[in-house]
Amino acid sequence: MNEAILTVLFYSFAAFSVLLALAVVTSRRILRAAVYLMGVLVSSAALFLMLGAEFLAGVQILVYVGGIVVLLVFAVMLTRSVELLEDRPSMIRKLTGFLAAGSFFAVSVAVLSMTQFPVLRDGARPDSNVAAIGRKLLDYGPEGYVLPFEVISLLLLSAVIGGIVIARKTAVSRATGDVEIMTEIQ
Amino acid sequence: MLDTLVGNAPGVFHWLVLSTAMFSIGIYGLLTRRNAVGILMSIELLLNSASLNFIIFNRFVTPVSVDGEVMSIFIIAVAAAEVVVGMAIFVALYKSRKTVDVTQMNLMRN
Repeated sequence: MNEAILTVLFYSFAAFSVLLALAVVTSRRILRAAVYLMGVLVSSAALFLMLGAEFLAGVQILVYVGGIVVLLVFAVMLTRSVELLEDRPSMIRKLTGFLAAGSFFAVSVAVLSMTQFPVLRDGARPDSNVAAIGRKLLDYGPEGYVLPFEVISLLLLSAVIGGIVIARKTAVSRATGDVEIMTEIQ
Repeated sequence: MLDTLVGNAPGVFHWLVLSTAMFSIGIYGLLTRRNAVGILMSIELLLNSASLNFIIFNRFVTPVSVDGEVMSIFIIAVAAAEVVVGMAIFVALYKSRKTVDVTQMNLMRN
């Protein structure tokens, strides 16, 4: 019974996310694409939950849906992409994209269907997913991830500082003639 | 009805086909979009399917450890950093050029 529910959920969420992902890449209104992207990310969180990664599902909602999509909507608004309808991509562009994506999909599926994925390390799954991830992140043994964790924190810090510097520099340099931008910044 | 559902429970292949499909859709968007923010959205699709892939392998190949999930956390962090920098660049570009159409961006050409 449990299996049956899982199957139904898998196929419905899979269809949902593929359809929404198609809408993201084909929608001509960029703000709608952002909303569809939010749907894709939420259904991905549901898929993570089905795979037993409940911490990841929470992080996905918090960071992707709460942070990244909001930031993308801001980017759409600030670059005034809302008003303009994107041109339909030319036939040659569509064809190139379709060929690249289609051939990647075909080759990957062919290889995946021929490959066996043996279970390398079997055993009981950790009781608490969150606790296991926390221990893994702060473990400085041979199987730990404390160094990448620190590198990622540095990357985030430099990205934030870089973002501020890039966005601010142009505002200051154009401030002399453009009052509107100055008031926007303040 | 119930038996067919139980018999068709998704295995590792079905999950991987799903994430491959989402990755291909992302590639299509990357190659056809002209608006830079749209391209950023396609990149989000790519990164999302990559982290889904990591979790799938974690679940089906090494269920005893959580290495794949840790990798997914790193992917999410990188995606967040990338969007911050990307958005800052687009806003700066929009201020100086009044467009975010990638086909008209040739600052480095001459």
